[in-house]
Amino acid sequence: MKTFQRIIKNTVSEYTVYRLNFILWRFRMLLRLLILFFLWQAIYGSQNFIFGYGKSQMLTYILLSQIVTTFIFSTKTQELGDLIHQGNLSNHLIKPLNIFHFLLARDVADKALNILFSIIEIALIIVIFRPPIMLTSDISTLLLFFIAVIMGIGMYFMVSIVLSLMSFWTQESWAHRFLFFVISDFLAGGLFPLDILPQPVFRILSLLPFPYMLYFPLKVYLGNQTSGEIIQGFIISLIWVGIFYAGFKILWQKGLKLYTAEGR
Amino acid sequence: MAKRIKALYSRRTMIIKYIHTWYLMSVNSFSSMMVSRLGGFLFIVGKSLRFFFFLFFLLLITQKSQTIAGYTQNQAILFFLTFNLIDTTSQFFFREVYRFRHLVVSGNLDLVLVKPISPLFRSLLGGADIFDLFMLIPFIIATFIVAQRQNPDIFHIALFIFLILSGLGIAMAFHIIVLALGILTTEIDHAVMIYRDVTSMGRIPIDVYKEPVRGFLTFIIPVGIMMTTPTKALMGLVSAEGVIFAVSVSFISLMISILCWKYALLSYTSASS
Repeated sequence: MKTFQRIIKNTVSEYTVYRLNFILWRFRMLLRLLILFFLWQAIYGSQNFIFGYGKSQMLTYILLSQIVTTFIFSTKTQELGDLIHQGNLSNHLIKPLNIFHFLLARDVADKALNILFSIIEIALIIVIFRPPIMLTSDISTLLLFFIAVIMGIGMYFMVSIVLSLMSFWTQESWAHRFLFFVISDFLAGGLFPLDILPQPVFRILSLLPFPYMLYFPLKVYLGNQTSGEIIQGFIISLIWVGIFYAGFKILWQKGLKLYTAEGR
Repeated sequence: MAKRIKALYSRRTMIIKYIHTWYLMSVNSFSSMMVSRLGGFLFIVGKSLRFFFFLFFLLLITQKSQTIAGYTQNQAILFFLTFNLIDTTSQFFFREVYRFRHLVVSGNLDLVLVKPISPLFRSLLGGADIFDLFMLIPFIIATFIVAQRQNPDIFHIALFIFLILSGLGIAMAFHIIVLALGILTTEIDHAVMIYRDVTSMGRIPIDVYKEPVRGFLTFIIPVGIMMTTPTKALMGLVSAEGVIFAVSVSFISLMISILCWKYALLSYTSASS
């Protein structure tokens, strides 16, 4: 436990080495939130109801999506790809510490920082712009929302590891990650709630893992889902977590056999 | 008279030298990017998907409301295509800016400074991106097809192209300021991504935004002048004063950015060569 605490502390310290970098990073997160907020405010204009969503529901979805995005999509696991390419993975393999536990500890630190500052940034926006947002106090909704977020975190952690493990086979560690970012940015529901898409498209999307990273937890929070839809969502999330976990295990075993510490 | 002719000739030789140098650097950059063909293919797929996803989103919102800030669906698409044209062109030319931080922290910027070529030229234009060139061609074709539906005359087309060049001037100014910031602080990555995020607000006409956001995007960070004004000119919606204002902002931005760059160079202390 002390080891993990030390890793978390070190990761947090890394962020404060380059202070301007840290400030600009947070400024950029705030800017992205504002851009989305202004975009949807502009789309609604004088209307109160579009795509089956009231203005307060949509703005709540958008603001909450930014907090949940920091929970789920902030990760340090992309470093694994660079470790493989540079041969520095060897340093971790000889240590008495599982590299995935190490990455998980770093992720915890990254997410903790992101969440802390995201809450401050969202609070600032609420104080300054006073958007009409929905706050729920229903314990069961909050609990289900929390579970959905945890599953989203687990799913993305696995996906990110799988993307990094492809570095055993390719010289390129960024291209496939970039492609995944582009696809998940749209299909996870960060720009808009996915159910505004035509129904046939939405039904196909519901079978893919992307909506369960962001859209599904947010819909649970908004309270727009029936019990059947929530149970179905959790089952599909679990199936995808299982698929990605199996993929990670297989790729790790096969990749280690190929690994030659090239670059050391 | 002979001196004047000599000066003109040496300037012409200098321009040819820089064009030739840019060509050589671009060929080198293209070669290094094409080492991983799979990576290149995935980048192009990613960029294409990013374009189509937002286009789909634009069609979705304009389908419901038929207009956006008084612009029809076709006009909204034209704004989006113009944004892509300017954004992709600036990324094609200025991709080297994204690699500048490594030059500074490794001390290799010293090797750039001692060479008989402008360090600004090398740092700004030294690594053209072939993948953006691949994306630019379909964007130009698509813009031409969609723009034709506005039935512009030759004058408005010329004004459109002129204001796109002016917009690229503002983009260049931003990138030079990012380079200067990189020398002063070694911070590039977030600075250039902030620029990308802010300019992405130009994907839709900035008239959509309420004040003070619209004013901010026109006068403080002139995204509106970069992205929205050229398209409005094509539609005949920009006055002569508007054109003069756009060109003036572009010129002043460039002047300020070059001053920033000169100041940054004077402050450079070479990290670790």
